[in-house]
Amino acid sequence: QAPSKDAVRQLCQECFSSPPAALGPLAQRACPGLAAGPEEAEQLVSALHNLTRHVVYCGLTRAEDILSLFPENFHQNLKNLLTKIILENISAWRNEAQASQISLPRLVDMDWRVDIKTSSDSIIRMAVPTCLLQLKIQEDAALCGNNPVVSALTVELSKETLDTMLEGLGRIRDQLSAVANK
Amino acid sequence: QQVERFLAQLSDFATMNKISLGPLKNIVKSILLVPNGALKRNLSSEQVKADFIALGLSEEKASYFAEQWKVNSPTLTRLAVGQTLMINQLIDMEWKFGVTAGSSELEKVGSIFLQLKLVIKKGSQLENVYVELTLPQFYSFLHEMERVKTSLESFS
Repeated sequence: QAPSKDAVRQLCQECFSSPPAALGPLAQRACPGLAAGPEEAEQLVSALHNLTRHVVYCGLTRAEDILSLFPENFHQNLKNLLTKIILENISAWRNEAQASQISLPRLVDMDWRVDIKTSSDSIIRMAVPTCLLQLKIQEDAALCGNNPVVSALTVELSKETLDTMLEGLGRIRDQLSAVANK
Repeated sequence: QQVERFLAQLSDFATMNKISLGPLKNIVKSILLVPNGALKRNLSSEQVKADFIALGLSEEKASYFAEQWKVNSPTLTRLAVGQTLMINQLIDMEWKFGVTAGSSELEKVGSIFLQLKLVIKKGSQLENVYVELTLPQFYSFLHEMERVKTSLESFS
């Protein structure tokens, strides 16, 4: 009953991406395009949501695994089309799921600037370089819904602090390579 | 706190040398103005010696003080720079990294995350900031910080 393959494709993507709570409104929006009643639309949207999420959760990558999820007497062409669409989108959906998992606040951007301090109340003339680092941090996406809160934190580092920090970052890098090479 | 220690040392000095504390305090206050001003204006030891002689100190004592100044002024200067205003100074950084094994959306994940805890001095209080970075972000951060280091070094 869908008007075109692209419409099906789009519907699958929307069903995967929307959280369970938003499925109702999604179903209502999809009704007219599918020429189906509201309950049918809801069932369809819900089923697609569950199917796509299940595939991503289990990490299925082969067509046979996905095909086996459908019930016996399911329409053959539709089954193949859906499987094809799912396979196309699997890695993007996996990334989406990973990006939205719970976490500490995430770094989204970083800028720096080097200033030279020339004067202060304790010394009238000096030339001391200092680094200003601005970190843009986004709060946990799951907690903020559609309006993620991004805060900017500006931190000042002296040369000594920067050297110590680089030492620490170097150790992290070494530990990471040790883990990667195991 | 350091002021109290200094006053205690002064009063010990006064008792040891049998001078009364009151006048001693005034004298010391005036004397301290000279090194303070010298520090602010980055005076050399010859200039400090000249200042003391102009104020009436004997040649021998002024030379002695100038010698002490030469030895100690780098430390004093560094302390003065350290007292200069810093905005949200980074005090400490801790980290941990680990692997995400699974989540409610993905049964098996196996992705590495890095978590940093930055201790920042805001005004007179310390604040902890927690941030998570992906591996590519970490490498990019490391690269940028190395560029900052090069930049700071070229200005030193």
